Amino acid sequence: MGISICNTPLSERQHKEYLRLLEACGLRDEGDADIIALMTEDDILTACGALAGHTVKQLAVAPDAEGQGAMAAVLSALITEAYARGIHRLFLCTKPENLRMFGSMGFYTVIETKDAVLLENRKDGLSSFLGSIPKYDGTCGAVVCNCDPFTLGHRHLIEYAAAHCDDLYVFAVSEKGSMFSPGERLEMIRKGTADIKNCHVFKSDLYLISRATFPAYFIRDESRADLVKSDLDIELFCKRIAPALNISRRFAGEEPFSPVTRAYNERMKELLPANGISFEEIPRLAEISAGRVRRLLETGEPEKIREMVPESTYEIIQRRS
Amino acid sequence: MEIKKNAVAGTLESSDCMVTVEPAKKGLELELESAVIRQYGRQIRKVAMETLKRLGVKKARVSIVDKGALDCTIKARVECAVMRAAEYEGRVNWGGMIK
Repeated sequence: MGISICNTPLSERQHKEYLRLLEACGLRDEGDADIIALMTEDDILTACGALAGHTVKQLAVAPDAEGQGAMAAVLSALITEAYARGIHRLFLCTKPENLRMFGSMGFYTVIETKDAVLLENRKDGLSSFLGSIPKYDGTCGAVVCNCDPFTLGHRHLIEYAAAHCDDLYVFAVSEKGSMFSPGERLEMIRKGTADIKNCHVFKSDLYLISRATFPAYFIRDESRADLVKSDLDIELFCKRIAPALNISRRFAGEEPFSPVTRAYNERMKELLPANGISFEEIPRLAEISAGRVRRLLETGEPEKIREMVPESTYEIIQRRS
Repeated sequence: MEIKKNAVAGTLESSDCMVTVEPAKKGLELELESAVIRQYGRQIRKVAMETLKRLGVKKARVSIVDKGALDCTIKARVECAVMRAAEYEGRVNWGGMIK
C-alpha cells in the first residue's frame, strides 16, 4: 500500500483509473486539480484525492477498500504536501453526512446548505477575516468583483452602488486572475475608487467567489453552466458575512457574456431576498468589458483600452509592461 | 525556539496525530481535537506543553488532531512540527533539546 503525489496532468493510464474510481464513488472529475494523491494496493487504485488551490477535493475510496483508513491516509498526504507548498489554509466541500468524519480530522464548518457543507481546517478562519474589516452603522451595501482589470464599467457599478447606500464594501476576488495578480487588481480598484468617500475596498480572502466557495466560477466550463453550483458561496454571504458587517444590499453588473456569471446572478436574485438582502443588477456600460480589455492587451493594442479604463488602471498596466 | 512559518507533522491515521504549528504574536495556544478528549485530553495537553517548553517555544499557535496517539508519538510529532516551523531541519541537536 502506498500513496503517490502526482502533478497534473496524470499519465493516460493513471487518469483512466482515477476517472473510474471517481465514477464508482458517484463523483466526476472537475478538472481543476493542481496535484492528485493516488493510493494503490498491488497496483490497483484504491483511493484518491486532489488539491486545487486551497481546496481538497475529489476524495474517493474504492468500495472494497472502505473502513481501512484509506481516506485518512490520502487526506494526510494531501495536507502534508499542501504545507510543503506553503498552502496552510485548506478547505473541503462535502455532503452533510460526512461532517462528523471530517470534523474528527480537524475540519470545521464554514457554511452548510441542504446538500453540501464547506469546511476549513481552522475554527476561527472566517471570524478573524470578518474581525479584520471595519464595521459601519448605516445601510451597508456590497459589491464583489474580479476586476481583471478594473474598467470604467466596474467604476460605473461601484459609483451607482455607493450612491444607493451609506457605506459600500467592495470585495476584490483574491484568487489569481487570468491576467492581473490579486495585488494589482486590489490596487486598481483602490486607486480607481479613491474619490468615492463611502467606498471601502477589501480582499475577499477565500470567502467570496473563491475556488473554495465557488469552484465553477474558476473552472469556466461554460457548456455546463446549467449545473453551476453557487449556493455555498451565496449562503455564506447571506448567513455569515452580511450579518457580521450589517450588509443589506448587494449589487452586481449585468452579465451578457458569461453563462456562469449569469447563472450566479440569477441564483442571487432568488437567494438574497429570501435572506432579507436586496439584490440589484446594474446594466452594463455599452462596449466595455474586462474581457475585451484583456483581448486588446493580448493583441498588443494598449492605446485602444484608454477609453475603457480609468487613468489609474492604465498607469498600472503601463508599469508592468 | 522561534516559530518562523506554518508547519505540519504526523498523519490522521489511527494511533497517530497531526500537529500543526504556526507563528503567533504572543503566548502558547493549544487546540486539541480528539475522540478520547474526555479520557486523555488533559494528558495529551500536558505532553504537548512540556515538549513545547523543553524546545523553548514561547510564541506559537499549535493544533493537535489526535487519532489515539501514545504519549511518545505526540511528543515526536510536536518536536517534528516545531523543527520544521523553526526551519531547524537538518541541524537537530539530538540528545540536547530532543531527548
